[in-house]
Amino acid sequence: MSLKAQYAHLNASFAAQPPDLKKCGHLLTQLKLGLIQAGLLLPQGDLNTDDLVVAREILEIGAFWSIRTQDVPSFDRYFSQLQTFYTDYAHLPPSQHEYPIRGLHLIRLLTQNRIADFHTALESLRAAATDSPYIAHPVNLERWLMEGSYAKVWGARAEAPAAEYGYFVDSLMGTIRNEIASCEETAYESLPLKDAATLLFFTSQSELLVFAQERGWEVDLTRGIITFAKKGEETMDIPKERIIASSLLYARELEQIV
Amino acid sequence: MPDIEMKAADKKEEKKDDKKTEKKDEKEKKEEPPKPPPTPNQEIKSNVVLIERAVATLEPRFAHRVLRTLTSLRKRLDETVLRKAIEEVFVKDTPTKQSLLSWLPEPPPPTEAMEVDSTAPAAAPPAAKAPAGPEPVPEVDMYLRLLMIHYLDTSPSTYGKALDLAHQTVEKMQALNRRSMDPIAAKVWYALERAYELGSELADARPLFLAAQRTASLRHDDETQASLINRLLRSYLYYSLYDQADKLVSKTVFPASAGNPQWARYHYYLGRIKAVQLNYSAARENLQHAIRRAPAAKLAPGFYQAVHKLFVVVELLMGDIPDRSLFRHAVLEKALLAYFDIVKAVRTGSLAQFQTTLAKHAAQFEADRTYTLIVRLRQNVIKTGIRRLSLSYSRISLRDICVKLHLDSEEDAEYIVGKAIRDKIIDGTIVHEKGWMECGGLKGGYGPEIGEAFSKRIGYCLQLHNESVKAMRYPLNAHRKELAAAEGAREREKELAKEIQEGELDDDEMGGGGEF
Repeated sequence: MSLKAQYAHLNASFAAQPPDLKKCGHLLTQLKLGLIQAGLLLPQGDLNTDDLVVAREILEIGAFWSIRTQDVPSFDRYFSQLQTFYTDYAHLPPSQHEYPIRGLHLIRLLTQNRIADFHTALESLRAAATDSPYIAHPVNLERWLMEGSYAKVWGARAEAPAAEYGYFVDSLMGTIRNEIASCEETAYESLPLKDAATLLFFTSQSELLVFAQERGWEVDLTRGIITFAKKGEETMDIPKERIIASSLLYARELEQIV
Repeated sequence: MPDIEMKAADKKEEKKDDKKTEKKDEKEKKEEPPKPPPTPNQEIKSNVVLIERAVATLEPRFAHRVLRTLTSLRKRLDETVLRKAIEEVFVKDTPTKQSLLSWLPEPPPPTEAMEVDSTAPAAAPPAAKAPAGPEPVPEVDMYLRLLMIHYLDTSPSTYGKALDLAHQTVEKMQALNRRSMDPIAAKVWYALERAYELGSELADARPLFLAAQRTASLRHDDETQASLINRLLRSYLYYSLYDQADKLVSKTVFPASAGNPQWARYHYYLGRIKAVQLNYSAARENLQHAIRRAPAAKLAPGFYQAVHKLFVVVELLMGDIPDRSLFRHAVLEKALLAYFDIVKAVRTGSLAQFQTTLAKHAAQFEADRTYTLIVRLRQNVIKTGIRRLSLSYSRISLRDICVKLHLDSEEDAEYIVGKAIRDKIIDGTIVHEKGWMECGGLKGGYGPEIGEAFSKRIGYCLQLHNESVKAMRYPLNAHRKELAAAEGAREREKELAKEIQEGELDDDEMGGGGEF
């Protein structure tokens, strides 16, 4: 089967409702082999623009497919392959999938708390990119996460600009809950169960109890209160070794100077 | 990055070397024409002499001296000057000369070609030798080419030509592969980059630079290597490819022997990369180095301003407030005006003021490529705001926090305060039932962190001292003179001691005598 025909096939089966993911995966593997033979998977030099566009589309479908099959490492691979097309072959007609995929990549970095990578990726985007809703969404999420407006992050769940974003929401919520929990541990002495549930976005008490157990909180069910053990009161140690080491260093340096 | 920065950086190179070699210059100054402003031709000629001497004695510092004059010379170049220079240097008709001349447009009928010789006694040695002697060393050819590229760069219509010439020059340079050419080669690369950039095709030059960088590092050509690493970083950052830039930095070793100007640029680029990666303390360190290595502000204002702009933002991101005096600096005052407004907004912790300032100066920040960094400051503004509140109130309701900091909802305020407490920005607790925040008292300033702060400062001072010791240069054999001087001093001291011993009486006598 020729590359073109396979591509059409893939397109059709991916666009179908609901898409046949298994078949897509199979087709993608074959197509990638075909791309390698045509020298298009990692393009170098001047190639036919149409071929490049097709190759890019195949990889883009691959990226979406990885998200739908919840295969994140595979998404990373597709994304790094796509990078070549997005940055080095900027003369290609812009792809309508570019921003969604970049946005997904950004969200993925957020869920892993790789903030430094997030910003590096963001910086390499064109200025116009931030106007796209696909990019603006993760950018806002990051901002809210950093300043602590978790309620807004929670509220933005429903506003995901593309269906694929939903796949990351769960893990993102997990990250947020842990963040909030660690804040609560230090900021409160005790908290009523009901309020704790709202703060942590739990709808039922049983979920909260499981979560509380995981983090080792003391739950007083009769009074309906969670108490957090205070860790802040530990005695302060004098860092003897460090002081000695630095004093010795000063002595040595002084000797050199004099 | 703005154009001006590199131009300024260039000026700085000149200046730096100036300082370093000032002493050496003194003895060589005598050779130069006594008339204060030498004509460009005279200058080129004397430079050619110096280059030949550099090649003959294997002393790169002569070549550095030549390159130092590049910036000032560059501005005075024109066709006739170049043509004349070529005619004078290449007396015989050789292929090299022909190829050089072919880059210049046809001359007007030559009239005053002869009189220059007589006015340039400094150029006597090569001129005298040349008629019979062999063709000048290839370094001279390269130097003239360098001048020509710079000349062609000056007008948009000849950018293409400049690029072609630069390419040809680079090819020739690589084919020759002479170590004595390295200082000039480094400059030629710069000229090539400039030519590419003026033609706005900077990205196309990258493969060329990468290949050349590899060759240079294999040949231990530090000069070229330093120049090329900076060229590459600049090209990556120009296209915001921070990832690649970071990888390049991690895979290469910047040659320690590189000149100050190259180091300053390298530190600046590193600072940029680190700032984007949220590694603010590393960014600040690099920027500080860049500032220290950069020349006096008046000579390279562009570079100085660019570094300081980034520096201010990084300081703010680290939660520090830059010195007020920085914004009063003559060179920086105007350029940093927008940044000063941002600093004011962050200092007061007013989110509303921050937003309006950001909107007002957005265009400038975009141009300076600091916009995304400044947007990150938003959380710092909130943090500062909460901190101020926690210092001034012992108990404040979340509702009030919300109003004072212009937050969207009380719920947000609760989370934000919670986060601030966890991040140890403030000390306090939230009482959820009553809906307020109780602030803990101030900590006494005698913890181990004080010692840490001091040791950091001491470490910095020690490093500065060590670096300046290492940076000192001593003229050869100067210690002999000093030894002699020391010997003399000791002798005198002995005499003095002797005199004092003997002279105690004299003193008395003299004292006695004074009374009479």
